[in-house]
Amino acid sequence: MTHAAGGSVRPDRPPRRPRTLGIAAAVIAFSLFAAREVGFDPSTFWEVWSNPLWEKFWPIPWDWVTDGSNVMGPLIETFQIATISTILGCSLALPVSFAMSSLTTPNRPTYLVSRAVMNVVRAVPDLFWAKLMVTAVGIGAFAGSWALTIFSLAVMVKLFSETVDGADPGPLEAARAAGGRHTPSVRTGMLPTVFPDYVAHALYVFELNIRASIVLGLVGAGGIGRVIEAQRQFFRFDRILGMLVIIFVVVFMIEQASVALRKRLV
Amino acid sequence: MIRLEDLSVTYPGGVEALRGIDLTIDDGEFVVVVGLSGAGKSTLLRVLNGLVPATSGSVIVEGTQVVGASPATLRQIRSGIGMIFQTFNLVNRTTVLNNVLMGRLSVVPAWRSTLGLWPAEDREAAMVALERVGIVEKAYVRASNLSGGQQQRVGIARALAQEPGLMLADEPVTALDPVTSRHVMGDLQRINRELGITTVVNLHFLDLAREYGRRLVGLRDGEVVFDGDIGDVNDETFRDIYGRSITAEDMLAMGDNPASPPVDSEGV
Repeated sequence: MTHAAGGSVRPDRPPRRPRTLGIAAAVIAFSLFAAREVGFDPSTFWEVWSNPLWEKFWPIPWDWVTDGSNVMGPLIETFQIATISTILGCSLALPVSFAMSSLTTPNRPTYLVSRAVMNVVRAVPDLFWAKLMVTAVGIGAFAGSWALTIFSLAVMVKLFSETVDGADPGPLEAARAAGGRHTPSVRTGMLPTVFPDYVAHALYVFELNIRASIVLGLVGAGGIGRVIEAQRQFFRFDRILGMLVIIFVVVFMIEQASVALRKRLV
Repeated sequence: MIRLEDLSVTYPGGVEALRGIDLTIDDGEFVVVVGLSGAGKSTLLRVLNGLVPATSGSVIVEGTQVVGASPATLRQIRSGIGMIFQTFNLVNRTTVLNNVLMGRLSVVPAWRSTLGLWPAEDREAAMVALERVGIVEKAYVRASNLSGGQQQRVGIARALAQEPGLMLADEPVTALDPVTSRHVMGDLQRINRELGITTVVNLHFLDLAREYGRRLVGLRDGEVVFDGDIGDVNDETFRDIYGRSITAEDMLAMGDNPASPPVDSEGV
């Protein structure tokens, strides 16, 4: 410590905290406990994967798969569902998100009510929304669009209101200092700052919707999922694998395009 | 005219920012407010346009009581008060012109400004304001593409677009280099003289305060400890306001060399 005259002394390395080890031990212990409680047995691994079910996936009947009305038609319907619900849900989410952020909310009651309502909406799983909508408006793409609109709204307000929370409040203060009313102040003092994030989030919600709308078909909400469910009931797993290949390729391309777009935005 | 009577501001956390302020500012004055960080300078400015609500006392701006004013009255008061900020508070992702048009928010119908359909006469007012600060050629440039000094001039243009009777500037040059600082202070001085706009400026640098102020108000711990002509101000006055002796950091002219090592006041 001869250089203490310089005014600063190197500190001793703080003792390593035993917390990390403790947490790791707790995680492992809980996993073992949970596995035993649900009767999970790793030795069933071979039993699952040697099931004759898997042989039924091969060979892929390309004739059937590539016949437009079998796969491409329902797949296009899936994208239509995803598109309309993304546009509707994200449009609704714009004002709701501003109401849900403490920076841009018009008043305290609006803030609390919008947050409470959105928490409830988000707590209901998208599949359950789809079931509800199928019950309400009947089987088909119409029900799926409604369910995904609500799902888009719920996801979007979560993402976007947090973006608004973290945005620079300075321009908004300037708009208010200039005597602006609430809505024009938010529009001119906040929206331009967060709009690229808004579009990026909307594209991400679109990606989620495409995947979700495939699943929604399983409960009767239209799209490609309906075909998958029908073929499953006939044990035509070869056709299902063919559909999965097509879905994978198309979804992958859409996601890549969306990711590239989002990168340019933010 | 501005009249503050026994004005106090206590923040929700319990911090007393201003304590029993009495102050009168006449039309056309150029007042510089100095004081340490936390002395209440920013609060004083923001209480004048109601951005910070007063806890007790009275604030009368152009004959209207600000304390406890309704939202509509508050907007009315604010429309006549331009404000300039330390960090400029521009919307970086839009054009200079759109930023300046924010100064017209109080006179343009809400639906027009919300849709971005600004009337021609308001666009004209914004252009005139940009001409006043000499950067009208940047009207269609994104605000983020300007230098700090240019951005602050856009801030001034935004305030001027309100055609205000009172201008509040909250440490307008703290984020700028010395040369640009003098430019911006010169702009404010010129606007005060040519347009007769009453101006209240918070400043951190004492030499700038001396150079551009006509009347100096010193704040210390939320109270006015000096109020007088800038000609009567000497180092003794500043020591009273700051509660310590003056150091190089209090001067713009000497604080402009970031390469110089920080002065170790305790060690000397």
